[in-house]
Amino acid sequence: MSGGYRQQPGGSGPTTRKDGKRVAGKQAFPPPGSGGSKPKMATRDLDFIPESVGGKEPQPAGSHIHDRVRTGTSVGKEMPLVDSNAKVTGQAWYGDDVRLPNEVIGKILRSPHHYARIKSIDTTRVEALPGVLAVATGADSPHRFGVLPVTKDEHAMAVEKVRHVGDLVACVAAIDESTALEALNLFDIEWEILEPVFDPKKGLEDADEPIHWRGKYHLAKTNVQKRVFQEFGDRSLVEKPHAESHGKWKMAGVHHGFTEPHAVVAHWDPNGRLQLYTPQQVPHYTHRALSTVLDVPMHQINVIRTFVGGGFGGKSDPFPHEMCAAILSRKSGRPVRITFDREEVYWINRGRHPSHIEVKMTADEDARISGFDIDALIDGGGFASFGHVTSYYNGVLATAPYELGSFHYTGARVWTNKPASGAMRGHGAVNTRCAVEVGLDEMAETMQVDPIDLRLANLLPPHSRTISGFRITSNGMREALEKVRTGSNWDEKFRKLPLGKGIGIGCGFFISGSGLPIHWDPNRFPHATVHMQVDMDGGVTVHTGAADIGQGSTTAVAQVVSEVLALPIEMIHVRSHESDTSPVDLGSYSSRVTFMNANAAIRAALEIREQLLNAAWEMLGYHPNNLVLNDRRIYYKHDPAVGVSYLKALHKAQEDKGALIASGAYRSPPMGGVHKGAAAGLAPAYSFSAYVAEVDVDVETGIIRCTNVWAAHDCGKALNPLAVKGQIIGSCHMGLGQVLSEQMVYGRTGHLQNANLLDYKIPSVHEMPHVEPIIIESCDPEGPFGAKEAGEGPLLPILPAVVNAV
Amino acid sequence: MRAPPRRLWRLIMVGSEHIKMIPAPDKNIWSAEVNGAPVEVLVASNAILLDVLRDKVGTLGVKRGCDMGTCGCCTVMVDGAPRLSCLCLAGQVEGSEITTVEGLADGAHLAPIQSCFAEYGGSQCGFCTPGFLISAQALLNENDTPTEQEIACAIEGNLCRCTGYQQIIESIQGAAAIHRGEVAAAAPASDAHPDPHPDGPDEPNMPPGHAR
Repeated sequence: MSGGYRQQPGGSGPTTRKDGKRVAGKQAFPPPGSGGSKPKMATRDLDFIPESVGGKEPQPAGSHIHDRVRTGTSVGKEMPLVDSNAKVTGQAWYGDDVRLPNEVIGKILRSPHHYARIKSIDTTRVEALPGVLAVATGADSPHRFGVLPVTKDEHAMAVEKVRHVGDLVACVAAIDESTALEALNLFDIEWEILEPVFDPKKGLEDADEPIHWRGKYHLAKTNVQKRVFQEFGDRSLVEKPHAESHGKWKMAGVHHGFTEPHAVVAHWDPNGRLQLYTPQQVPHYTHRALSTVLDVPMHQINVIRTFVGGGFGGKSDPFPHEMCAAILSRKSGRPVRITFDREEVYWINRGRHPSHIEVKMTADEDARISGFDIDALIDGGGFASFGHVTSYYNGVLATAPYELGSFHYTGARVWTNKPASGAMRGHGAVNTRCAVEVGLDEMAETMQVDPIDLRLANLLPPHSRTISGFRITSNGMREALEKVRTGSNWDEKFRKLPLGKGIGIGCGFFISGSGLPIHWDPNRFPHATVHMQVDMDGGVTVHTGAADIGQGSTTAVAQVVSEVLALPIEMIHVRSHESDTSPVDLGSYSSRVTFMNANAAIRAALEIREQLLNAAWEMLGYHPNNLVLNDRRIYYKHDPAVGVSYLKALHKAQEDKGALIASGAYRSPPMGGVHKGAAAGLAPAYSFSAYVAEVDVDVETGIIRCTNVWAAHDCGKALNPLAVKGQIIGSCHMGLGQVLSEQMVYGRTGHLQNANLLDYKIPSVHEMPHVEPIIIESCDPEGPFGAKEAGEGPLLPILPAVVNAV
Repeated sequence: MRAPPRRLWRLIMVGSEHIKMIPAPDKNIWSAEVNGAPVEVLVASNAILLDVLRDKVGTLGVKRGCDMGTCGCCTVMVDGAPRLSCLCLAGQVEGSEITTVEGLADGAHLAPIQSCFAEYGGSQCGFCTPGFLISAQALLNENDTPTEQEIACAIEGNLCRCTGYQQIIESIQGAAAIHRGEVAAAAPASDAHPDPHPDGPDEPNMPPGHAR
């Protein structure tokens, strides 16, 4: 046979001319499975098919339930992010890049006072200024909103009083920026200055005028927003300690420092639907809040997530300026764009809580940890934001990865007259984690044991329970510690380095997706839903609400679908920008996206796979159990020549119903205890990490320079090792910033003094140490192909590692 | 005879008084060559280059991060040298050749630095990427064998919050290898596919076991 096929028209002559071009009318048919950008069917990549199903991928942590649907297509391979070409060509559209025709510019008037009552606002002069199209004040936004349903304490603009410098007072929309800025000067406001509170310790005391008032549920007349008290285990164990440590910490607030300032564009379309473009991690919260604030049903609002120029938790609240843009746009009848300058970014804040942390810990004769006693007083700033959760996380996320004899936690979050703190990468866990790990090193010092040995002796095993009732499934902590120990040559260096050099260890533990979907009961609705549709062209469109904030969630979802259906990744199109087309999703927070959305995507893809295999069954006569799905072709297991192309099977499956549609959902298993706050910190899986940091300290000036970091992170299964490494190195960068250079400085009068990137010191390329990312794969039984989170957990251990090294 | 330019008087606050004070700046035709194309737009004499590029020229790939020269997101190449467009008056660079991130690619062919940033993970959220690309390209134009230290010095004015710089340095080294000709550049994503008919023959006309 001359290589052609029977279908070839015009007999069996050569298909190519002498100049290499195709003979007219002759199709150079490639081998079976042709299609897409690659004409030849790829062979099965056995290196990426697990051993348990006949491949060559090593599985030290055992097999996984998803192994049987591995096709070796994309999981575990280093892949560029699917949207990276848009980003490198400047075509990615961030908040401020949305330019609608006829748009006007919105500007926000911010409070000059820390704490003051607004007696009156006169806007007549503003409205008289030519070029001003709309003015809005607190009177236009009487409804309260907040990220958590239990703590709704924000207004779009201050209704009665302003609670920090930079709090929103009013806003204007004008034909251009200079007119809008000019208009801000024309507000006539009468203030009544109130006594501000800056020190969180003062916030515990009664005040004349508490910053918020919750009626009969308010704690006396204090500024306490949330109190937490938890105690587990046998407290008698701590009475006669063999070793103990006591650390008192004062942690400054830090900001996410994302490079893209907030920006929002609001537009009421002619049908009276609001189209809101915003860089949001959690578009769904904004959606809900907009509905409340604007008195419009949710289906009349379309929240369009633009590309997000860095989130890290700082873009996960529904923000008042988003409401302002919508209100202004409604009043002016034109699209309104509000872009923050860098200073405004700091006024809205939501960074890590400044906190006072006290950690006492004890160990018994066998060097087993007999008790943690943690007290955290956290400074929440003017609003609750995520603070309710943060108050719990400060304690409960310190209960692992160690086996504790007892645990005692008291925490309080207070309102102060500063910009509100909120969620930031490593939410709530970072500061206590640092205090705990340094305390452990102190105990190791008193007991004269190696700190890594001390940690190894106290680790929780896989498939266990923490003292507070969290269900630990996979756990790669031991391996992580061993890897960093050998990687860093720890035994040769620890306590043996010359003066001015040091080496230190830190461990981390973080949730992989919050077990409680904030707005609904997890037993009734799933955590995440993914819709999928395959049309005649064979391309797969995936609709998900997962918000890609640069971490690569879109890529992760595309990867798992590509893996299950054995299609090249360019055939998977993820649509996740619009709330109109994506199923309701809680977005990117608590490191949930990879775990929950990828799991939901796998389920939807499995449904499509089943339909394809059934069609192939009908065509080939072999039961799906005996069929292999490979690169754009389905064939009989024992004879690859017997098969159908993916498209033929697809068209067969579509005969009855048109496009194939599938929907997949993820819900977490029932977990956790029944005590108050049991849901905080619950997660279907937890990530673990261990870092070793090496530092140089100039003994005369005290300047600290981190030179090397060995960073081992247990992410279950690295779906995309390139992205995981990027997350690990990036976390080191952010953590180093917090421990060495970054700090939100509040002056004596309570003013934020470094609200710009010049005085807020984010490490530059010269301050970065060499980071050796080590990926530990523990294969989580419930994770998608075994994966867990890799976004927030890697940040935790770098702080204590550096502190311990010093 | 040309009429004298009309001056718009701007209102400003002095104490609690709101008075006409400073004349609004003159507006002039500003011309330059942006990404190889001549551009003529009407801009105020005190306009910042960043604003002109974003709002008038429409090169939205130039990002605004901080407005004070600290983040480097707004870096553009002016006559071959990287420059922070937020600290640059449009008038200062009148008539010069300006390259933004949109001008790096040659048609559909991504510049090596662009494809390497994608391939090596040098871009995560992507907001700082345009600035990094310009700084890196300016370095590579002069030096295609940069050491790690030279790369660090070239990008020291750019802040990245996601990647921790390590993968950015790797990307630049990868691009340098392409510049040196050691590695072939990637084909454009929009090239015609070798087989535009994904539905090939479904049943191979071959005896069982003959599969390739």
